[in-house]
Order: sequence, then structure tokens, then C-alpha cells
Amino acid sequence: MNTVLSRANSLFAFSLSVMAALTFGCFITTAFKDRSVPVDIHVSKVMIKNVDDFTGPRERSDLGFVTFDISADLQPIFDWNVKELFLYMSAEYSTKSNALNQVVLWDKIILRGDKTKLNLRDIKSKYFFFDDGNGLRANKNITLTLSWNVVPNAGILPLVEGSGHKSIAFPETYETAKTY
Amino acid sequence: MLSVFKSIPTHMDYKGQKLAEQIFQGVILVSAVIGFIYGLFIQQFGWTVYIMLAGFALSCLLTLPPWPVYRKNPLTWQPPLPETPGENREKPQENLKKKKHK
Repeated sequence: MNTVLSRANSLFAFSLSVMAALTFGCFITTAFKDRSVPVDIHVSKVMIKNVDDFTGPRERSDLGFVTFDISADLQPIFDWNVKELFLYMSAEYSTKSNALNQVVLWDKIILRGDKTKLNLRDIKSKYFFFDDGNGLRANKNITLTLSWNVVPNAGILPLVEGSGHKSIAFPETYETAKTY
Repeated sequence: MLSVFKSIPTHMDYKGQKLAEQIFQGVILVSAVIGFIYGLFIQQFGWTVYIMLAGFALSCLLTLPPWPVYRKNPLTWQPPLPETPGENREKPQENLKKKKHK
């Protein structure tokens, strides 16, 4: 029987279907977009220490300290299907024991509406750059990369790597002064 | 209290029901298309949703209450038969039953 409630029900169901179609449209208009932008990374200071790693192999391991600058314009990434960006700086290197090591040094969340022009100076890494051995000393090729996770309104959650890597070499000698 | 609610007329005739359905589908689809284009243009999906919800509210207002426009084609019922006094008031089925028993 057609009553006020049955009309309200069919109206509501139809609206929800249309809303789902709109959301899919929002996804499909942004699904094939390239979300990589150039990133400029500059490393101002590098040092290593040889300290006890109580979480790891119970020996003295290499702990790296990297101070770096980042400048990038993230404006082209934002569109109507982006809620936030999760930026993270990762270091990649190879040692004798592992062909590929990846360590996340730093991260930052950029919300929609935040300032999108990044110009960060003298950032210290947020997380410990520990090697599981002594692979950092005199390592000539440690690549820093800024990548990001795009958090969308609808659809897939892409991981994008910024174009622009920075390759650094670690020093031969350990820093001994206790400057925590 | 309940009888007050029951006395509110909510009925639409059949043509009115069809018209109401066509109206709400049309209003919601048009607002969805407008919202999508506007949201795509200013790159804010929130506005798409708001415009769509405005269409929802408008169509609720237009089609939920039984406005007179939905009641223009009432069904034509047969006129009530004139009541005659006496035995003829009994229903025909009851007469049949009585015959069977005899």
C-alpha cells in the first residue's frame, strides 16, 4: 500500500543508490591520475654512532643520524578525491647481510586545506635509523626517498613515490661524543 | 491522540502515486547531476553531497505530503445500493447456505 512511510522509504533508497553512483564517479574521475611530483631533498648533516641495540641482535649496532631539508609543491596531488597525504621519508641501502634494507626515518600528515608548499629545513629524523649490524659505517649508497600514501574519499589507497632521490654516503668513523 | 494522526489524510490515487515517483526520481537525478558537475568544477566532493542532499530534501517536500495535485483522479466507485426493508437485507451468501441445509 502506498503510504507516507512507503514513499519515504523508496525516496531514501533511491537517494542512497544515486549517492553511491556519485561516489563511484568521483573515484573514476581520479583513478588514472599520476600523483607523483618532483621532490627536492638536501642532506645537511650525516653521522653514525655505534651503540647498544637492546631490541635487536644484542650487539652494538650502527645508528645513523641524518639531518635533511625537503622542498616540494604538493598542490597538484590534491583533487576532490584526496582527504589527506601521509608523507614518509625512507632510506634504502644494501648491506652484506641484506640485499635491501628499508627504514622509515620521518613522516608527516598533510590534511586537505593545509599548506601544500613544503619547505622544511633541518629536519631531524623522527625514528631511529638502526641497522641490524654494522652495515651503515662507510656505506657509500644510502638512498633517501620521499613517498606518500594518498587517502581518498572513495577508491584505492595508492602509494606514490616522489621523483627526486638523494643518495648519501655515511662516514667511515663513529661519532663517540655522547650528545643525546 | 492516535485518532488525530489517523484522521490526517495521506492517501494518493494511483495516477498521483506514479506522478510522485516520477517527480522524486527526476528531482534527485537532476540535483545529482548538478552536484557532480559543480563538485568536479570546484574540486570539492562535499559540495556534490550537499547539493544531492538538497535535492533529497526538496523531493521529500514535494512528494511526501499528499498534495492536491496527486489526488486529481479518484477512483469511481459504484454508487451504494439503496437499502430495502425486510428479508432482502440478508446477504445472498447466507440465503444460499440456508438452502443447502434444507
